[in-house]
Amino acid sequence: MTSTQNPPVLRMSGIEKSFPGVRALTDANLEIAPGEVHGLVGENGAGKSTIIKVLAGVYTPELGEVSIDGAPVAPLTPQTVHQRGVRFIHQELHLVPHFTVAESVFMGHELQGRLGLKKRQMRERSARILEEQLGLQLDPGALIRDISPAQKKLVQVARALTDDNIRLIVFDEPTAPLAAVEVEQVLGAVRRLRESGVASLYVSHYLGEITELCDRVTVFRNGTDVARIEQVSDDTTREMIHLMTGREAGELFPPRNEPGDEEVLAVEGLGDGKTFADVDLTIRKGQVLGLAGLLGSGTEELVDCLIGLRKVKTGTMRVAGKPVRFSSPAAALAGGMVLIPRDRRHDGLVLDLSVGDNINLSTLDETATAFAGLNRSMLARERAERMVSELDVRPADIARKVRLLSGGNQQKVVIARSLLTDARIVILDEPTVGVDIGAKAEIYRLIASLAAEGTAVLVSSNDPSELLGLCDRVEVMVRGRIVESHRAEELDRDRLVEAMTASVRNDEEEAR
Amino acid sequence: MNTSTRPVGAPTRPGLLGLKRFVLRRGPLLVFALLLIYLAANSAAVLTANNFWSSIVQAAPIAIIACGLAVVVMGGGDDAISGGIDLSIPGAAAMATVVLSLQLSEPGAPFWPAFLLALLAALLVGVVNALLVGYVGLSPILATLATYVSVVGITRVFSQNRRINVSHETIVALRDGKLLGVPTTVLLAVVVVVLLWFVMHRTSYGARVQAVGGSRDAATSAGIRVRGLLASTYLIAASTAAIAAVLLVARGSGSSPGIDERLLVDMVLATFIGAAFSARNVVTVPGAMLGAVLVSFMSNGLILNRVPNSWVDGVKGMLILLVVAAAALQNRERK
Repeated sequence: MTSTQNPPVLRMSGIEKSFPGVRALTDANLEIAPGEVHGLVGENGAGKSTIIKVLAGVYTPELGEVSIDGAPVAPLTPQTVHQRGVRFIHQELHLVPHFTVAESVFMGHELQGRLGLKKRQMRERSARILEEQLGLQLDPGALIRDISPAQKKLVQVARALTDDNIRLIVFDEPTAPLAAVEVEQVLGAVRRLRESGVASLYVSHYLGEITELCDRVTVFRNGTDVARIEQVSDDTTREMIHLMTGREAGELFPPRNEPGDEEVLAVEGLGDGKTFADVDLTIRKGQVLGLAGLLGSGTEELVDCLIGLRKVKTGTMRVAGKPVRFSSPAAALAGGMVLIPRDRRHDGLVLDLSVGDNINLSTLDETATAFAGLNRSMLARERAERMVSELDVRPADIARKVRLLSGGNQQKVVIARSLLTDARIVILDEPTVGVDIGAKAEIYRLIASLAAEGTAVLVSSNDPSELLGLCDRVEVMVRGRIVESHRAEELDRDRLVEAMTASVRNDEEEAR
Repeated sequence: MNTSTRPVGAPTRPGLLGLKRFVLRRGPLLVFALLLIYLAANSAAVLTANNFWSSIVQAAPIAIIACGLAVVVMGGGDDAISGGIDLSIPGAAAMATVVLSLQLSEPGAPFWPAFLLALLAALLVGVVNALLVGYVGLSPILATLATYVSVVGITRVFSQNRRINVSHETIVALRDGKLLGVPTTVLLAVVVVVLLWFVMHRTSYGARVQAVGGSRDAATSAGIRVRGLLASTYLIAASTAAIAAVLLVARGSGSSPGIDERLLVDMVLATFIGAAFSARNVVTVPGAMLGAVLVSFMSNGLILNRVPNSWVDGVKGMLILLVVAAAALQNRERK
């Protein structure tokens, strides 16, 4: 597979990097052959982002060597790395909304002649790069705010391709903000790059993408490379999970719980008059119901309607047989229903408050004194500490600011808060976005134990494996309608993906 | 002017939502236009060549500093709270008028050294702004409000809060001169605006400044050095204050205290109403210039309609509110 005559595009060997109190990388190695797509996987905190920042020249390692095309990069700075032809595609869509595609592609390295910017040349070149190298036809005069997320991602990639001497492109979670159908567009672009001889380092939580795309994969765990997979095959996913977590893939999902008969939430003919209509759902006591849908399918709006964040226009909702219509999440909470939102950083947590304060946020009444509503801090502390140890939030420090926690642990804090409310119905919207596999397994365990205690759970997700592993029943939503409904045992992954992506492919994304 | 056309197939918004967007986008300009039409219909003196030229001459210094402010806003972004703004430009201009007037109060004193001194004084204000915003990290509105107040205070001290008369030959020539029927001060303003337009809309420097203003993260990740660019916008703004000061001294035949107050209102209004002239609805150099012309026509129109001076300020204040509130609502709409 690797050619012996050509030196690797990138060789990082024996990298050590510590931060105060933490050893982030220990004897870490990474090697990328010319023109290959190399996968980099690992749980959050395994050292992936640290080694990328070392490569970017942002962090200076204490030990170790970085060489590109066989020649060491010294000193290691953002400028020297850039000069040697390495480019980084950041996870965030860093683009200016009112810039045109061409202006965005050439941002920071504009073509300027004596008479000013060569606008026409920039337009033509950016259109050419997008079409020939990335397979995307796009008007270079279109404004960024009018194009789809996948198109924005490719504009970001095109920016890296305006120079000729590009050797390596580092993709950091390139598909994170995209819907499943859009992912293919990005994967296609990376494949085209491989054909043109540019090597890629592809970092992703989505193991399916890794096996589909990569020639070789390096697995990181605890700050070092534990393995390099030389031959990617169908079994690679299992192998990667095993290497990343030290446990088998099957252990990811807890055993399912048999739901009771009592209907807790029943929804009939629900619609918001705009994005979805005619939704019927029932969730029974102890049941985990899955709501499958891609971005823009209407699942997000449906969840918002259930919890009172969005106005219901048609249909009825009953909780334990009683008709309800919630006007706000607070009203829903009073009615026994709580939401764990998809964007925990914005909607779920007060990032600058402590873990303990966040855990108690929804139940301040319970920790308040009857007179004057003073906060009983001892009781609040106790409750927070109990939740932190039950949910294994790491580090187990209730005074720490939530901002400093990893994604998975932040999510546990949101869940802890919801558990304290003793709600009968818990809705989780994309519960494991941006969460590593280890924390995923724990979140799944928590969901299962909620159901085992008799809570009715609704999981809205666009991750088919998650829905199949976790849920008892899956409702599939496409373009604002429930199109299919199955017991999870009757489905497999391919069947579910097919249902979720049916009839969406050829339709334009409605731009915001 | 930004002449980018919207892409084919860009979403068109029907019904109420479209109306709301239209009102937010073009509303302030419409109010402006209606006001001007009303003023013109109400007083015969408005639509005369005399008023036309006097408005244009008055617009010249406003246009220069409004374009200076446009540069700062383009680099700092148009966020209502943390966006770029330089309130100190009129203060720096007032200080520069005093420096110029003191130097030129003797006939025969050389012009260029006096201008250079005024420019240095203004640039000093710019440097302080640049340090406070770019390196200390203060919000532009707070930092430049503080420098504005300080500069005006200092200026009062060394002008003893008195009028200084200037009858220097260069200033008189500038005041009375015409080229092809166009007043020299207007030509000078046009030259400055064209220069700024080229720098901001036709060079990579300008493109980068706009990138920083559009999204600081995007600019950083594109390898643009944000701080230096941000700092430079305040220096450009300060330079426009010094150039405007020359026109102000010419117009007033010297410096008079309190000149900064009216300038502040007119400048802010001109720059932000100017956004409505751009296809992408963002602050631009040509937009700021057109804004200055509009504001000047409105000021003169109000006066010709015998609206008391204190009311004129009230009207302008309300228009500023209207313009910035519409812009803020539009930003929110987009998110």
